[in-house]
This record gives sequence, C-alpha cells and structure tokens, in this order.
Amino acid sequence: MPLVNLPAFAPDLIADLEKLGTERVDTPVIQPAEPFLDMAGEDLRRRIFMTESATGKSLCLRPEFTIPVCLRHIETATGTPRRYAYLGEVFRQRREGANEFYQAGIEDLGEPDVAQADARAVRDALTVLANRLPGINLSIVLGDQSVFEAVVAACGLPTGWQKRLVHAFGNQAQLQKLMADLSDPAPSGVFGPEVERLAILGKLDDEAGLIAHIDETMEATGYSTNASRSPADIAKRLREKMELANTRLDSRTLGLLKEFLALELSLAEAPQALAAFAGKAGLSLGEALARFESRVAALRQAGVDPATITYRAAFGRPLDYYTGLVFEIEGNALVLAGGGRFDRLLTLLGAKERIPAVGFSLWLDRIASVKGAAA
Amino acid sequence: MTITIGLPSKGRMKEDSSAVLARAGFTVTAVGNDRSYRGRVEGRDDIEIAFLSASEISREIANGTVDFGVTGEDLVREGLAEADARVEFCARLGFGHADVVVAVPEIWLDVDTMADLGDVAADFRARHGRRLTIATKYWRLTQKFFSGNHGIQLYRIVESLGATEGAPASGSADIIVDITSTGSTLVANHLKILSDGVILKSEACLVRARKPEHEGSAVVAEIVERVRGVL
Repeated sequence: MPLVNLPAFAPDLIADLEKLGTERVDTPVIQPAEPFLDMAGEDLRRRIFMTESATGKSLCLRPEFTIPVCLRHIETATGTPRRYAYLGEVFRQRREGANEFYQAGIEDLGEPDVAQADARAVRDALTVLANRLPGINLSIVLGDQSVFEAVVAACGLPTGWQKRLVHAFGNQAQLQKLMADLSDPAPSGVFGPEVERLAILGKLDDEAGLIAHIDETMEATGYSTNASRSPADIAKRLREKMELANTRLDSRTLGLLKEFLALELSLAEAPQALAAFAGKAGLSLGEALARFESRVAALRQAGVDPATITYRAAFGRPLDYYTGLVFEIEGNALVLAGGGRFDRLLTLLGAKERIPAVGFSLWLDRIASVKGAAA
Repeated sequence: MTITIGLPSKGRMKEDSSAVLARAGFTVTAVGNDRSYRGRVEGRDDIEIAFLSASEISREIANGTVDFGVTGEDLVREGLAEADARVEFCARLGFGHADVVVAVPEIWLDVDTMADLGDVAADFRARHGRRLTIATKYWRLTQKFFSGNHGIQLYRIVESLGATEGAPASGSADIIVDITSTGSTLVANHLKILSDGVILKSEACLVRARKPEHEGSAVVAEIVERVRGVL
C-alpha cells in the first residue's frame, strides 16, 4: 500500500489515542454504500466514490469512519460502553484538496453520563490537537441542537412547524427561508382541487369518512396494494395541515427565534445568557438548560476552560441523527476537528436498543499543513 | 475553422431542428443517403453537420467534439455538472417543450407543495422503516432541486429509465421526477404535479460549447445571430 499521505506524526497520534483509554479498530476500505446514502441522503452520492459488485450491490470507498465503526460495533455485539479509536484513509470527491486523505478520531458509544461523555470528547480532541500543534492557537465553537428544540417547543409552535424548524436547524439559508415562509405563508397552491372539492361536499369534517373515501379511491385506482402511506396517515396529516392553514408565525415569536439564533458568546457566559433570554421571553427551557449547564460544569471538571470556547446558538448539522452537542476546532482558519453527539444513529443503523453516542474526527492533512506552516 | 453542429438523428426533433436552420438560411442535407450520420449545409464549406442520438448531443458539446448542438435543456442540465460554465444556451427554439416535474400520487391529499413533501420525507423513515423513494432518470436535477432549493435531503433515488409514471402504482418508488409535455400520462397514472414542483421548463435549444477559439469567429457569430433572427 502506498501510504504517501500518511503524516509523519501518525504514530504519535495513535499513541495519544491509546493513552486516552481507547480501543483501536480498523474497518474495510470498501464499504456497502447503502448505509451512507440512507443516513446522509442522496447528495452524498456525488461526493463519494461508488461502484457496483458483480451481483449489483452498491459499494463505496469509505468516506468517513463513524458509520463503519458503529456498524462494526452492532455486528460484533460487544456491549457498551466502548470507546473506539481509528486512524485511516477516507475517500471523497472534493473540489479542492486531495480525494484521499487521513482521518483519526474517537467514537464513544454507550456512556450513560451524557455531560461527561460530551466534555470528554471535546477535551480529547483538544488534547490530541494541542499535542501535535504546540504553540498554535486553537479556537473552539460549540452548538447544541437540543437547546433550539427546547426554544421552539417553549414558543408553543404547532408540532408540524417544530419538526420543520428542527429539521432545517444547522442550514442557515434554509432556516431563514422557512421562518420567512411561516410568517408569510403562500396564499395559493397549498391545497389541491380535490381537497377543495371534498371541502365543498363537506367530506373533510368526518375523519372516518375521509379515511374510507381515501381507501376507496386507492382501491379504485389500483394503488392500494403497494401504497406506502396509509389512508389514515394521509387523512391525519391533511387535518393537521388544515388546522395550520390560517395560522402564521407571529412577529413576536419570529423575533424571539431570530434573537436566539443570533446568540454568540463565550461558553462560560452562555448558561446565564440562555437563562436570561428564557426569562425575558417568558419561555421555560427546563431540562435542556440544565443539561447545557451540566455539560459546561463537566468541561470545567475535565480541565477545559469554557471561557476559551465560543457558543454559537445557530451552529448545528442538518442531519437527522445529530441530537445535541456539535463542535469544531479551528487552527490557522482551518477546521482541524469536528465532533458531535449522534444518539439516533445506532438505532437507525439497526441496533436493538438505544445507544447514546458522541465522537469526533480529526483532519490529518489539515493538521499537517498547519504544522508545516508553523515549522 | 470548420464549425460542427450536432443535430438529433431522427424523429420530430430532427425535422424541427432542420426546419429552424433552414429558416435561418442554413439548408441541411445528408451526405450520401438519408440515413447517413454526416450532413452539410448547402453552399457552406465552413459548416458541418453531425447527426447524433439525442442523449449524446449534450455529451459531445461538453467534450467539444461539436461546436453547437440542438438538444433539450433538460438533457444538458442533467448531463453536465455546472452546465452554464461549460456551455452557452444561445437560443430557445420553440419546440420540444417538456417540463421536468415532481409528481406524487393524486390520493396524497395532504401533499400539494414541496414543503408538504419535506414533512412527509422527514417522517418517512420513522413511519415506514425506510426513506422516501423517488423514481427518476434525472439524478442531478432532482438532487439540486430537492436539497439546493428546498432543503430536502432524506430521500433515495431509484433509477428508472422508462415508464417512470408507473413506479408509484407498482410500488417500486413513492413519487417520481419526470418530464411531461401535456400531463396526460401523469393523470392516467393518478399522479399530480406539486404546485411548486416544476423543476425546469425545458425546450429545444441551440447550445454552444464554450471554446476559446470561438472568440471573434465570424461563423460562430453568424450562426447565433441568424438563428436568433428567425425565432
């Protein structure tokens, strides 16, 4: 194997990961493509290297380690908690930079003390980077999707809207557009002619009747045998949609959401600022705030000064398996490490029980370039 | 410099393309017999015609093997990444109209906008144990429209090279992205177009490969000008 890009510091980095009490794992470079596309969506297809096996199975070159490490954990059924470490090559189609490069990282699976596991992930990433890059100024940005979820819930927004907003969280442009749409909904094209016809006939008021009507139509059009969405699903969502048809996001709530999303300050001051925001807005953020505070305390205990971390309320990743903490560490304006909590991923990948998980990965090529520039 | 124009090799598109060029003063004739894949323009030694299959024209323009091509905008935008940087749409020719649309089962009474579809897609896995599936041959256009314009990422594409409209009824996909000119095939298959679900209003276009040697070329300028002049 031509390990041309393997940075010279890799053995030291492996030793660091080992000292942090992790178990080194490796995964095959050639992976089934399905789990990646299923988790991250079709967009990923353009960014990975895909091929087909002789039997038509979609395969890809490993684009990252989290999913393979989690799949391996599920297959080997070794029980939790486990802390896995990895270092190896990943392959992505990138506009700039090499298409193959090294990543290393830790996946911490099944630790029930969420605050402590979160703090440990941030500290470990920081430790490994600081060891490789002495004297380089590292800046950390931290976000937490669960706080946004709590704000949206406390605003008393309809469930359907909450889902949309949470789903768009982390994608600034999408979230702004969504908030604008909700405050000024489109006047037409929202309900089709068939719904208008049924409304005139008064068939929409009686849910059981509506379900029966949908069922009969499906039968008549030969669609029912293969229908994915059931008549009850459709009728229920139609009702929810009708209830929201005449509501709009009021200007006060819109103002609150914008104010929240604009928060960016030192993590040391963030718990107080969030409490003040909630108090002023009359929102009860309850447990989300308590969890946020205990994470800050856990960071202090782990030896990371929260004053060195920036909390940015709008920072998140628009993937549905990220659930709480996200963070990034930069040096010389390059993202050197990215991490976060993904409590939903293992069950999505087929784990029988819910396994809380948090982890981070390091970009070895960027670390090498920062190191090179400093030398 | 000889300029090559790629034209569709058969059917309605071939006739309509030749007719537009004839109106612009370029009478196209096949070299040898009618089935030949080479052609020329009467009285013009500086223009060659290549008759190509519709699906190849956008690729040949991208490769630069032809200088111009007449083909559907949908095929160019689907076939080429960053199409506008690589080709120029010189003229819309007024035939070969077809819309690339997002269509869902008519009976999805609660789904009439992309926002509705986004809600359904976000919940799909939790309810059905798999992602929402889209049958299409338009991978690139679908991805751009769903994630770029509407922030919808959680779906899977099922490749469909024909009879795409039948996919929802046969259970091979939940919804489709396909071309339609009158919408009648969609209606016949109990599908409806979302109110904001038109991805592209396509028609046949005169498309030019962006080649440096076209700068200042009199023939290139003349072809564009004369075609535009008869529309």
